[in-house]
Amino acid sequence: MELLILNGLANGLIVGGIYALIGVSLTLLYGVLRVVNFAHGEFVIAGSFFAFVLFSTLKIPPLLAVPLAAVAFFAAGWLLYYVLIPRLAKSDDPELMSFLMFYGVSIAAAALMLLLFEADSRSIDFTFTPVSVQVGPIYISTARLVALAITIVISLALALFLFRTLPGKALRAAIMNREAIQIMGVDIVRLSAFAFALASSLAGVTGVLVALVFPAFNPFSGTEYTIIAFIVVVLGGLGNPVGALLGGVIFGLAEQMATVFLPQALAQIVGFVILVGTIFLRPSGLLGTRFRR
Amino acid sequence: MASFPRAADSADRIYFTLVALIGGALLIYFAAVPALGLNVAFHFYLMLWITMASAFNVASGFAGYMPFGYVAFYGVGAFTTAILVKKAAFPLLLALPLSGVAGLVLALLFAPTLRLSGIYFGIVSLALAGICRLAITNMPEEITGGSFGLQLGSRAQPLQSFYVMMAVMVLALATILWLSRSRLGKALRATRDDAEAADMMGVNVPVVRLYGWLISAFFPAICGGVEAWYTNVVDTETAFNTLITAKTVIYAVAGGMGTVSGPIVGAVAMVWLDELIWRQFPLLNLLILGVATVILVLFLPRGIVGTVLRRKPHWRRYVP
Repeated sequence: MELLILNGLANGLIVGGIYALIGVSLTLLYGVLRVVNFAHGEFVIAGSFFAFVLFSTLKIPPLLAVPLAAVAFFAAGWLLYYVLIPRLAKSDDPELMSFLMFYGVSIAAAALMLLLFEADSRSIDFTFTPVSVQVGPIYISTARLVALAITIVISLALALFLFRTLPGKALRAAIMNREAIQIMGVDIVRLSAFAFALASSLAGVTGVLVALVFPAFNPFSGTEYTIIAFIVVVLGGLGNPVGALLGGVIFGLAEQMATVFLPQALAQIVGFVILVGTIFLRPSGLLGTRFRR
Repeated sequence: MASFPRAADSADRIYFTLVALIGGALLIYFAAVPALGLNVAFHFYLMLWITMASAFNVASGFAGYMPFGYVAFYGVGAFTTAILVKKAAFPLLLALPLSGVAGLVLALLFAPTLRLSGIYFGIVSLALAGICRLAITNMPEEITGGSFGLQLGSRAQPLQSFYVMMAVMVLALATILWLSRSRLGKALRATRDDAEAADMMGVNVPVVRLYGWLISAFFPAICGGVEAWYTNVVDTETAFNTLITAKTVIYAVAGGMGTVSGPIVGAVAMVWLDELIWRQFPLLNLLILGVATVILVLFLPRGIVGTVLRRKPHWRRYVP
């Protein structure tokens, strides 16, 4: 039992790190642009397929796929921003309509991946040597440890970027007050495009990690990750990147511990219950600071 | 009826003439579908989607909520009918209204979410639908049939269920037509636009919202039941498929929310389009549905009827 709990904790941290990254990118997007990306999970899975294709056709290992995914998804996000968002702002209620629009993007993206890769579950047939490493009394697969390391590096880099550099500070300022930052002379359209590209890039990289950590993915796994992203974002407080990191780790731990203590079926409900419970009991999220619009 | 105080008004005369003409044409057309040898299945689903989109419109267009887990009502309705008929030997025509009641009960359970707004409401609704699906999936197999679902056996009567679906659609449209002219409908719209102002004017905001919510939940539950009867089988994968919510929302938005005719126009246009696409490119169907949604939101955010009314605001008095 102790081993099971330790295993649950370790896996919770690893999985939680990935959830944190998914949440951070979604919350950045919501914070800066005030759009709700319902297709976020599909972006992540697209990253997984990206790594899959690179590995199966060009034999590029997943570790190298991480920077490639970052660049490719950044470019794709930049492009997608200019196609989708400027027109959206003209509707009566951009926030709700964005939810609807990305619902469409999500269906289209899943369908596209279905056409390209068929409905079978895929996994990347790449193994590290040694396959697993002993940490204290438990064994953890090397792939998972590598993923954890990458997660930590990315989170730290992101935190440094957001709190120490000028563009990062501009992003945080835009989350706090979109109007005021325009008065200060920031080009909000370019900043928003950058935020969208950054969020897509993060999602793509997370997708590569998902392919490393989880046994398999298919074109329809996207929705699961979207819902996880929502849980994490709500836990951390909408538009709060630090909260999302924390929320991701907490949710990862909660989910993995639930699989230890609860029957499989009930463990799935845990996430939904956390989501509904947070919104009712603590709508501003764990950290309790709600960014005002 | 108390809601016709200005029946002599010419605008109202045009309005009701239009209602009678459109309603009459719809009725005669659908009633004649089997006799004319038209595709019964296609028209069955057309009526189902008209009903779903119209009922969704009560929550979204009238009350201003976006229940992205709308499928919950449909799925629970489908399972209620199947369980009552299969396990408790209820006659079908009694099980269907009870499905509606199940929808109402579920809506009451979800009623606390009505104090949320905007995307919070949408996200919670999505999560609640997930909980409903998991709860039913995890019920004992003797009740819900597990992953195989429930077969209703030899009870399928396509023609009878077609006319029952038609009756449900007529009931739904009549209810919404009444709602759009009633005090309740006006109070709902006022609450949607500005809840505080409505409260100030003496509208009991929570009660009004609850009534709108209940109307919106009743019909999809019955639709689920009728569809279960029509296809003879219910399982959690299809009864709680997110695509059901997606289609409902898309059809309602395509027509234009907040009007009675909008969701009808939207459903007719989009179901027809969907059928065309599906016949031509069965593989691309889902992709085109997604792209169509994006294009709709970007270029026609008010829907067909909504855009027309924006161009010709004075038509608002005549168009249901």
